[in-house]
Amino acid sequence: MTLDPATAAILATVERLVIEVAGDEITLAGPLTLATSFNADLELESIEFVALAEKLQAHYGAQVDFVGWISTKQLDEIIALTVGDLVTFIAART
Amino acid sequence: MSFLEANGVRLHTTELGAGPPVVMLHGLLIGSLASWYFTAAPALARTHAVRLYDLRGHGLSDRPADGYDTATMAADLAALIGDLPDRVDLVGHSYGALVALAFARAHPARVRRLVLVEAPLPPATFADEHGFLTAGPDHMIAALPPGLREAIAGGRRQAARLLATLRALAYETTLLADLRAEPDLDAAALAAVTAPTLCVYGDRSSCRPAGERLAAQLPDARLAILPGGHYLHLDAKDALTALLVAHLAEHGDG
Repeated sequence: MTLDPATAAILATVERLVIEVAGDEITLAGPLTLATSFNADLELESIEFVALAEKLQAHYGAQVDFVGWISTKQLDEIIALTVGDLVTFIAART
Repeated sequence: MSFLEANGVRLHTTELGAGPPVVMLHGLLIGSLASWYFTAAPALARTHAVRLYDLRGHGLSDRPADGYDTATMAADLAALIGDLPDRVDLVGHSYGALVALAFARAHPARVRRLVLVEAPLPPATFADEHGFLTAGPDHMIAALPPGLREAIAGGRRQAARLLATLRALAYETTLLADLRAEPDLDAAALAAVTAPTLCVYGDRSSCRPAGERLAAQLPDARLAILPGGHYLHLDAKDALTALLVAHLAEHGDG
């Protein structure tokens, strides 16, 4: 699947920040795709996911209101979040 | 992401929202500021400036070898909120609630409203209820709750990292000894707390008698029981969040 340039750019930023938070061994199984799950596939710890959110907030600024987004979600939805969910959220606000 | 040097320890902290200040404290071992970040904090942040931090030894904060008693951790909190207005609201879960309570005893004038979620009393019972901590390095895995043991046996990343954290806290710090040495709190000790206090406990939690005692012995406290166990922010996220929002929205000193 070929991604449009804007989506590809956000995906690249998310992957770079995931590596900053969790180390580059996190991508040993392969590069991040839109289908990659933060919990089931990457197995990020919850505190690492917070660190990722903080870095995304710093990168994209206040218009990407990650905490407001999370506040509307149930725990099982948060646990099931994929890279694609996050990229779609960011794309709609940038 | 920000870090603050507080009481000689580098603490990870983050602030959500804007409004009157609330500081939220998580529980020990598997807790971190993520415990609140993914549960009640985002809803509270609609009306409050919610400050979260990783307790010493937890999350992204430093893991010093000692200082896990509630008095030292209350001093961490005092340093962490040195820049906030005179009066703040405190919300704590489990041992984090005991730290909030220790702060409220030491600095009653600084706490406007207090919420104690599943605070264990006597504090030393916390160590006993986590038997794997006392099993010793060679037996810790065998003593873990079954779900956790299976996950770690599967060699997955989250489980391996959690085990490394538990081992470090149990065997490289004084956390366990500090827990066991933590004195119980009687009515005289609790009399210093002037803030209107909400005690929230799970109907299936072994900590529930502690909630009944706190509600009876704190000068201005009430007890709420929610369906769930010790980890109420997970078991009853929406109901707990609604209670927090309501208690912290009430005006005045009670």
